[in-house]
Amino acid sequence: MRLDALSRLVRLSLARERKGAFFSAFGVAMGVGTLVFFIGLGLGVGRVIREKIFPTDARLVDVVPSSVSLGLLGGGKLDAEAVERLRALPGVEAAHRKMSVRVPAVTRYDGVFFGTRLRMGMEVLAVGVDPDLVKGDVQLGEFKDAGEGQPIPALVSTRLLELYNKTFAPARKLPQLSSGMIVGFGFPVEFNRSYVSASATGPSVSSQTQVVGASDRAMFAGITLPLETAVRINRQAGVDAENYSGVTLVAVDPSHVPALVDAVKAMGLEIDDQERRMAENTGAAVALTTSALALLSILICFLAAVNIAHALSASVRARAREIGVMQAVGASRADIRAIVLAEAAVVGLAGGAVGTAVALAASFGVNRLAAGYLPNFPYKPDSFFSFPWPVVLGGVVLGLLAALAGAYFPSRRAAATDPARTLAG
Amino acid sequence: MIHARDVTKEYIDGDGTRVRVLDGMSLDVDAGDFVAVVGPSGSGKSTLLHLLGGLDVDYRGEVSVGGVKLAGLGDKALARFRNTHVGFVFQSFHLIPNLSALENVLLPSHFGAKPPDAVKRGEALLERVGLAAKKDRAPVRLSGGERQRVAIARALYGGPKLLLCDEPTGNLDAATGAGVIQLFQELHREGLTVLAVTHEERMSAAARRVLRLKEGKLVEERATAQAASGDAS
Ligand SMILES: Nc1ncnc2c1ncn2[C@@H]1O[C@H](COP(=O)(O)OP(=O)(O)OP(=O)(O)O)[C@@H](O)[C@H]1O
Ligand SMILES: [Mg+2]
Repeated sequence: MRLDALSRLVRLSLARERKGAFFSAFGVAMGVGTLVFFIGLGLGVGRVIREKIFPTDARLVDVVPSSVSLGLLGGGKLDAEAVERLRALPGVEAAHRKMSVRVPAVTRYDGVFFGTRLRMGMEVLAVGVDPDLVKGDVQLGEFKDAGEGQPIPALVSTRLLELYNKTFAPARKLPQLSSGMIVGFGFPVEFNRSYVSASATGPSVSSQTQVVGASDRAMFAGITLPLETAVRINRQAGVDAENYSGVTLVAVDPSHVPALVDAVKAMGLEIDDQERRMAENTGAAVALTTSALALLSILICFLAAVNIAHALSASVRARAREIGVMQAVGASRADIRAIVLAEAAVVGLAGGAVGTAVALAASFGVNRLAAGYLPNFPYKPDSFFSFPWPVVLGGVVLGLLAALAGAYFPSRRAAATDPARTLAG
Repeated sequence: MIHARDVTKEYIDGDGTRVRVLDGMSLDVDAGDFVAVVGPSGSGKSTLLHLLGGLDVDYRGEVSVGGVKLAGLGDKALARFRNTHVGFVFQSFHLIPNLSALENVLLPSHFGAKPPDAVKRGEALLERVGLAAKKDRAPVRLSGGERQRVAIARALYGGPKLLLCDEPTGNLDAATGAGVIQLFQELHREGLTVLAVTHEERMSAAARRVLRLKEGKLVEERATAQAASGDAS
């Protein structure tokens, strides 16, 4: 059948069945709309988790020493030799060492903190890392050990900053800080000293520390220093300055990671995948919730299809004579079938498009409301939604498919109309 | 034009019994003839028309119309045959209510090859049946006779050689019916083959041959005055 003729005939019957067509399309729009909305929400929240809360880089493998000592063999330790072996593993592009400052440290602050007077003292944890691991996040000076008596460059965790801004600062009426604002902020740290536990032997070392940036890769509850600084402090305090507390391997690309993990384990070392697990678990929870809601929406789509099947069956029955006339003047059974299916297709496409559009509009509204009425919380995103184009297109296509599925049997029934029976008399 | 041989048609009734409507019927109609088929209600007249027009191919025997053997044709070819070889005219007109007169006439154009001048052709046909002025009217705003004329114009759209009519005057009063009968006569004179099922005396009087459907077979009733005058001329 010619397309122009088909569209003419479809318009004709839709015009007659306006009400039925409207409700059929409405049902499809409901199903598609809720589905697109929930999938967009799931993807949006998932993206926040992936990109902001647990920004894991698929190419990174965090290696830590074995928690059980392997005794004489010396396996499971992360010394310089182990690092070299790690670096030589196939698929490794770079290996960045980390060493914790193995003595307690305290900071005492008494002064003006961004416009507010602040007086506090607390224990700090510190870790030293290879500058290459964080070089993209350093905004001030060079991230390297300047030697004893010189200021120590330090990175803070972006996550800590977020937590401070969204919960700590508002509760204590402290100012909001951007990563740019804290750069240059200096505070004293005294290493090998503690308020709560006994210090190691050896002298305590006082240093001025200067924030040079914020990094995803910085330690969460503490400060991140150049590796050489940590080595120096440990050595001065007479504690272990040879073994690293961790090595971050950068794979050539994510596909190398599984083999790399196996190789690392074969060396008697362990993988710290806590972060990745947490990301995966949270992601899975979101995916599960999204799936449940999506399933509900699919159910609505199914009901919409059933509704279309009912409406079309009734309409086909009512139009039996008209179908007979069309057959008498030259419509084949395939033509009749095409007309009914095309009718449903128009209803489905319209419903799908409207449903998708309404979902997009609703997401926009929700974002506006969230921005205006929800209190600020850590990682509160500008948008809770993500609508990649396959989701948008998929919404429209789903509407089409649901309608076509609903039209399947009615179209067959229409094509089976016996003109001899409907035309006589 | 029509050549039917030993045609047998049975229906399975509601209670499962076979009802034989046509029983070894044969029929030959020459091109350009005007044939009336009469018979009591339920004798199978409509059934016969549907077989001849390719609306029903579930029968035994042989039917060819305009040189086309119908029995072996598929869905598409049969539709094509109905679109171009025959025109149907029904007792209750069967116009589509929400289409104008002209659009009803153009209905067959949706199922054939796209004609370049469909609307012109439709208008010419409406003119031919005397309804040029009412082409945009909905069927409800036409009289019975006018509706039947629209239906005839629609039947003519595909340029058929054969018109199959099922009681075309059955729903019309005498005067209106006479006008429609006259139209058939004119069309016949212009070369169309007409086969009309009818109860109406005047319709069968207008035909050249009258056949009676009796016990599932067609028997020649009589050659009409028309045939006699036609033979004489
Ligand atoms: N689809 C069908 N199923 C079963 N029986 C049928 C069917 N169509 C027609 N019949 C039977 O076939 C017989 C012939 O029907 P048909 O409509 O051809 O008669 P007709 O001569 O046109 O009658 P009328 O003058 O009343 O229009 C009738 O007995 C009718 O009941
Ligand atoms: Mg009949």
